[in-house]
Amino acid sequence: MPTGTCTSDAALDVRAITKRYGRVTALSDVSFSVRPGEVLGLIGPNGSGKTTLFECLGGVLPLDGGGVYRDHRPLEGSERATSLFYLPDGICPWPEQTVRWALEFAEGFFGGPEGRREEVIRQLDLEPLLDSTIGSLSKGERKRTLLAIGLLTPQPVLLADEPFDGLDLRQTREVAATLKGHAARGRTLCLSIHQIADAARICDRFVLLSGGRVRGEGTLAELSALAAGRGLSAGRDDLEEVFLALT
Amino acid sequence: MRSRRNAFRWLVGKEWRELLASRSFWIMLVLAGPLVGMSFISAVQTYAEASGLGGTSAGVGEAFSPLIGVWAPTFSACELVAAFLLPFVCIRLVAGDRHNGALKLELQHAMPTFPRVGAKAIVLMGGWLAVLAAPFAAILLWKSYGGTLYAPELAAITVGHLLNAGLTVALAAAMASLGEHPSTAAILTLSVTVGTWIVNFAAAVHGGVWETVAGYTPTAMVAEFQHGLIRLSVVLVALALIVAGLGAAAVWMRLGIPIVRRVNQSIAIALVAAVVVFVCTYARGSWDTSESRGNSFAEADEEALRQIRTPLHIEAHLAPEDPRRSDLERQALSKLRRVMPDVTVEYVSATSIGLFEQTSAHYGEIWYDLGGRKTMSRVTSGEGVLETIFELAGVKPPVESEENIFRGHPLAVPPRGAAAVFYGIWPVTILAGGFFVRRRHS
Repeated sequence: MPTGTCTSDAALDVRAITKRYGRVTALSDVSFSVRPGEVLGLIGPNGSGKTTLFECLGGVLPLDGGGVYRDHRPLEGSERATSLFYLPDGICPWPEQTVRWALEFAEGFFGGPEGRREEVIRQLDLEPLLDSTIGSLSKGERKRTLLAIGLLTPQPVLLADEPFDGLDLRQTREVAATLKGHAARGRTLCLSIHQIADAARICDRFVLLSGGRVRGEGTLAELSALAAGRGLSAGRDDLEEVFLALT
Repeated sequence: MRSRRNAFRWLVGKEWRELLASRSFWIMLVLAGPLVGMSFISAVQTYAEASGLGGTSAGVGEAFSPLIGVWAPTFSACELVAAFLLPFVCIRLVAGDRHNGALKLELQHAMPTFPRVGAKAIVLMGGWLAVLAAPFAAILLWKSYGGTLYAPELAAITVGHLLNAGLTVALAAAMASLGEHPSTAAILTLSVTVGTWIVNFAAAVHGGVWETVAGYTPTAMVAEFQHGLIRLSVVLVALALIVAGLGAAAVWMRLGIPIVRRVNQSIAIALVAAVVVFVCTYARGSWDTSESRGNSFAEADEEALRQIRTPLHIEAHLAPEDPRRSDLERQALSKLRRVMPDVTVEYVSATSIGLFEQTSAHYGEIWYDLGGRKTMSRVTSGEGVLETIFELAGVKPPVESEENIFRGHPLAVPPRGAAAVFYGIWPVTILAGGFFVRRRHS
């Protein structure tokens, strides 16, 4: 698939998103599509604009250009809020409240499907943390709690910024399996990941972001072909090599 | 089975938990007790001494209004709490979400931002009711001493302090949304509070338009309520400012909206608020809820004044800082404006203190113009002003009924047990409550 195409059967179409901080252009004409039920990896080095892009998509940062579309219609305000949920990285929400309360609140406030909480708690091994305050959790524990909050929300598309940050190898694999399981049940996941090995483990397709621009979009095979088409040498099944070749 | 509460109720519940989890709230509650207690004990002591406690000679009955003698100073402590402690509690609740990232999550609900701010305001006002428990404890103590209570004036003073807290909450919420950091919000909030004091100072020195504006500052507003006076214009202006402040907070809470658009929306809110406030200042209704009718002339005098339909213009040659001017304003003109619909007052002076105008031929003169008939007087007392107006209007001064005179409620009882309640029981109870609640929620 060519870079930056938009499809009518996409869960979301991201079109020509541009974001500037003063004279610095953080995102330039970023376009890609998110397909229903897939796990899409947004891959890029630190400072490539992944978080900025997610904040723009999540509606917590104003855009300077472009937008998010579904069925060729722009998603604005409440429609966007009911379509996608953005899970930021590095936050510590409601630090004096317990994990138990935070999950209950996320489920109740956002109106998530009933009965999912117990399952998510089990999948992310949160049972021992339920009575701990969020502010007292370690980085990894907090990340799992945040992921649980994200998984409890009802929006069909979940954008998670660095979902594996702070997790050890075992936890990363378990969380990846959990996310895959939710995607298999129809939830569309868009994950921003700077560890390419983690991305390769879980994602169905990839968007390569570097310097605020999309350098490639597609499956590993499609990206390898793209690199080859540009005369760049990269290992066929090695995402790291493909990434380095295209960025 | 999970209860299907709506999102707003979830948000209110969340804000309430956040308030109970904040140390600043409990510190405010703890401090409210001793502050109110100190004012109450001092006021009751003075009231008792003036009533003849300890062998002193009792004062005149009219002076013994619990509203002025006890409740105004007691509730004044709440004004201090509202000015210096409540903003920090509010900023913690509003800016905290932004600071720890919770706002980014919550904003992804389709709920508009005004109800979000509204949920915070509701909870903060609930917290303020807990602060008002301190003066209400004082009321119970006063009742136990055998003191009299007059519900309408207590209701008025409570409403005044609720409105004052509402203004503080709205202002602090706006600043907390506007500022990137809670400390910036705190500085901005206190700057506005200090700004209103400057307006009051300018009013005292320069008079004129400053005096009009100062009539709507929180300090002046609370002072009126503490005297049992409820002016519709003041209530409406306060409500308009509260809505405007919360509106501005809602605008700046929307992180995903471009700054320029938020600035434009804020300007629009400010303009609409200015127009609404201006219109509200023309609302004429007012109610004197004080038992002593301290903000009104005698009923018979008021009835006679209402019969005078001709426009009355008063020109007072008194400087803003001249004590006679404040006497005239407090004892006569403020009462006159409430009764006569068509009265205009103009102050004339060349200086602010008037000290060097005393030798001027016309200084101190108060000219009355009633439909072209003019007279001059130098009297600034309520009785003197009434006499002049009745004479000018050709109305026979009514005879005041002896029954209607407020005799006062002397009470020569020391503030027994108040120190134990406010300096001991209150702080210990609040601290224990805070410890228990925070522990239960965490």
